[in-house]
Amino acid sequence: MIYKVVETLDRMVGIERARAHCDVPCGIYDPITAQIAALTVVRMVDLMKDLGNQQDLASNNSLARYVAVKEEHAEKAKHEIRVIWGDYIKPNHVEEHPELHGLAHQIMQLGSKCRQTVDRDTAVQLVEAINQFAEIFWKTKGVATKRAKAPYAPALELVYPDL
Amino acid sequence: MFRVLRVAGNSLLPAYQDGDFVLVSKIPFLFGKIRPGDVIAFRHKAYGTMIKEVQRVARNHDEIYVLGTHEGSVDSRHFGPIARQDVLGKVLWHIKKPVD
Repeated sequence: MIYKVVETLDRMVGIERARAHCDVPCGIYDPITAQIAALTVVRMVDLMKDLGNQQDLASNNSLARYVAVKEEHAEKAKHEIRVIWGDYIKPNHVEEHPELHGLAHQIMQLGSKCRQTVDRDTAVQLVEAINQFAEIFWKTKGVATKRAKAPYAPALELVYPDL
Repeated sequence: MFRVLRVAGNSLLPAYQDGDFVLVSKIPFLFGKIRPGDVIAFRHKAYGTMIKEVQRVARNHDEIYVLGTHEGSVDSRHFGPIARQDVLGKVLWHIKKPVD
């Protein structure tokens, strides 16, 4: 009963967090790796589209490299989210953020679609879904976040811890 | 004098778990010393507001060594002692998160 009252107060005014920090040797978790990987997927799609229909050897070589990097980073984004979701996220986090499981599954689906297609909208959706995951992640750590454009192409908005 | 804090993290398991609330105050330290076993909240320049258990207090009472009770705890074993002026208070009331 008292807990519920204080918890409601916390939701209304945001009670300060006292960190019972535990990162060694549990691991250091940070969704930025997944965010950058997703951004890389968008970049690769842009570069592939910039190539257009050029068929010369150098263009074919570039295209092959872009596809490989897109594959690698879409999978990397999925992997990084799986690690945080599987190793760091606890039942109380899911209780506080019931959308977490659905969001993690959505990221898996979007990551796969990014590998299968050259669809920029899907890649941008992957960035945004991982941003939302990052916001929840930092909230569980009691760390405020901010959104800012990445200082490199494709300059999409990323969620950063506001330290 | 008093402040309510929410525990974030699991370094004080099993006594304190992520999501618990604590009421802390400096009042006990106006009348008595900080002692080993006290659970205190304090400010740390890198980690922000933290909560840990006092392991020992230096003879001059200015430096306090804090520990978590979980093996993965980041505490004085990593960042050294904390200064007395950084102590926010002792835990007076522990509001535990209900078990599902």
